[in-house]
Amino acid sequence: MDSAAASAIPRGQVDLVDFVDWSGVECLNQSTSHSLTNALKQGYRDDVGLHLESDADEQLLIYIPFTQVIKLHSVVIKGPEEEGPKTVKLFTNKEHMGFSNVSDFPSSDSIALSPDNLKGKPVNLKYVKFQNVRSLTIFIEDNQGGNDVSKVQKIVLYGTTDWPTKL
Amino acid sequence: MVLEATMICIDNSEWTRNGDYSPSRFQAQAEAVNLICGAKTQSNPENTVGVLTMAGKGVRVLVTPTSDLGKILSCMHGLEIGGELNLTAGIQVAQLALKHRQNKKQQQRIIVFAGSPIKYDKKTLEAIGRKLKKNSVSLDIVDFGECDDGKPEKLETLISVVNNNDSSHIVRVPPGPNALSDVLMSTPIFTGDGDGGSGFAAAAAAAAAGGMSGFDFGVDPNIDPELALALRVSMEEERARQEAAAKKAAEEAAKQEKEGEQASSSHDATMAEPDSSSASAVDDKRHKLTDDETALLEQALAMSMDDPKSTNVAVADTDMSEATADDQELAFALQMSVQDNVKDSSTHSEMSKALEDQSFVSSILNSLPGVDPNDASVKDLLASLQGQSEPLQKQNEDKPENEGDK
Repeated sequence: MDSAAASAIPRGQVDLVDFVDWSGVECLNQSTSHSLTNALKQGYRDDVGLHLESDADEQLLIYIPFTQVIKLHSVVIKGPEEEGPKTVKLFTNKEHMGFSNVSDFPSSDSIALSPDNLKGKPVNLKYVKFQNVRSLTIFIEDNQGGNDVSKVQKIVLYGTTDWPTKL
Repeated sequence: MVLEATMICIDNSEWTRNGDYSPSRFQAQAEAVNLICGAKTQSNPENTVGVLTMAGKGVRVLVTPTSDLGKILSCMHGLEIGGELNLTAGIQVAQLALKHRQNKKQQQRIIVFAGSPIKYDKKTLEAIGRKLKKNSVSLDIVDFGECDDGKPEKLETLISVVNNNDSSHIVRVPPGPNALSDVLMSTPIFTGDGDGGSGFAAAAAAAAAGGMSGFDFGVDPNIDPELALALRVSMEEERARQEAAAKKAAEEAAKQEKEGEQASSSHDATMAEPDSSSASAVDDKRHKLTDDETALLEQALAMSMDDPKSTNVAVADTDMSEATADDQELAFALQMSVQDNVKDSSTHSEMSKALEDQSFVSSILNSLPGVDPNDASVKDLLASLQGQSEPLQKQNEDKPENEGDK
């Protein structure tokens, strides 16, 4: 049940924002007035006026730990047409990455966002690679228009938790 | 009290041989480094500090970020001056050292001492600055030593590029009589950002500037309420104890005043005697002998007791005999200093009693007509009053009465 405009939840998946460990969330190269909570937290992310913006250059490194082990199915990344992200790399279970070691190991998945995606169409990930995720690192390499500043409106993660199986 | 890992980049180039900061630029820098390390580790015990040199044969890391102050201080010894400053490499190596810090939760900070002229152009510095900002590293620059045109502006641009929420600072220290470390103590580099920093820095700044730290005990009740409360409670306890001691001393003084008046009245009788001069000469010798004997006896007694008491007694005796020979006020001052040295609370109160005695007695004696404070017998009485034991006191008081009766 994917729709282009609204962010309808894929069948069987859950919005993982409830499982985010907010105390460990970090974002490198974010602008102080436009921080990660604007794009990630419920309520903030739906506010059109609030967005995440990069600072010194167009790259962003977002680190999201979870309170329990999850399986990641798909993501929705919304942003403006020009400054929205284009190349996005995802890494699982790598703590405290820096811009210098993003190229040190292969990403679990690398996606190129189309303008459709920026409007809210979910991107399905290689599910097999995201079976045992404790933390997720999102590396936004560049943006659509090649600008100095990247802007992200909303980040939603869809997946499931292990809880029903671990009794 | 931010949790921080700091790398300090020292300039040990040839430019730091200059002596326009005493004793030399390099020495002043070393002292400042020591102070900064102390302040950082005091403000938060989990803070770590590392040191590297930027000149010489090349950039060399002396110690990686550690909270062991001794290690940092020891590595500052035996540093050689030479070579030229390599600012870009220094900052990059510092960044790398911080990246591999053990506690990833620490904020990253680099403190650069720039004593030589900067040969890089603005573009390179800006690129470095942007990289630091991207990795959320704060930068502090201490601009001292050489001041060629362009250096302040270059460093200013570097700071402005790195600066994020006022966490990066630049301090310009011109050569002059003030030590580099003193000037730095009042800057945000030392005191930290935001909440006014640590107690150490606040106390040091207060001592240097003579100003108020802003909080009662240099500790912010918001940051560390338990410590602030403990300090406040101990202060009040101390105050209460001192009040009780003062009250006790006042009571004793009132008692001693009466005894003092008795003694001085007996002296009056002695003075009034017609052949007082010869008698007093005889008395003088006898008093002196007895006083010496009693002093020796006292010393022997005291030495058989614990050591601090004996040293105080000996000091007190010598002080007294010398002092009364010269000046009453000097004696008073010596007594005060002796009183300060005494640690035992009992001797403390006794001394304060004796002190009260002496001041009262001497003031009374001075006011009485016909009594010469420098007279030998008066000296003896004062010396005896200063003694530790009460029977001794009474004995000496009896003696003048006996002499007086003669």
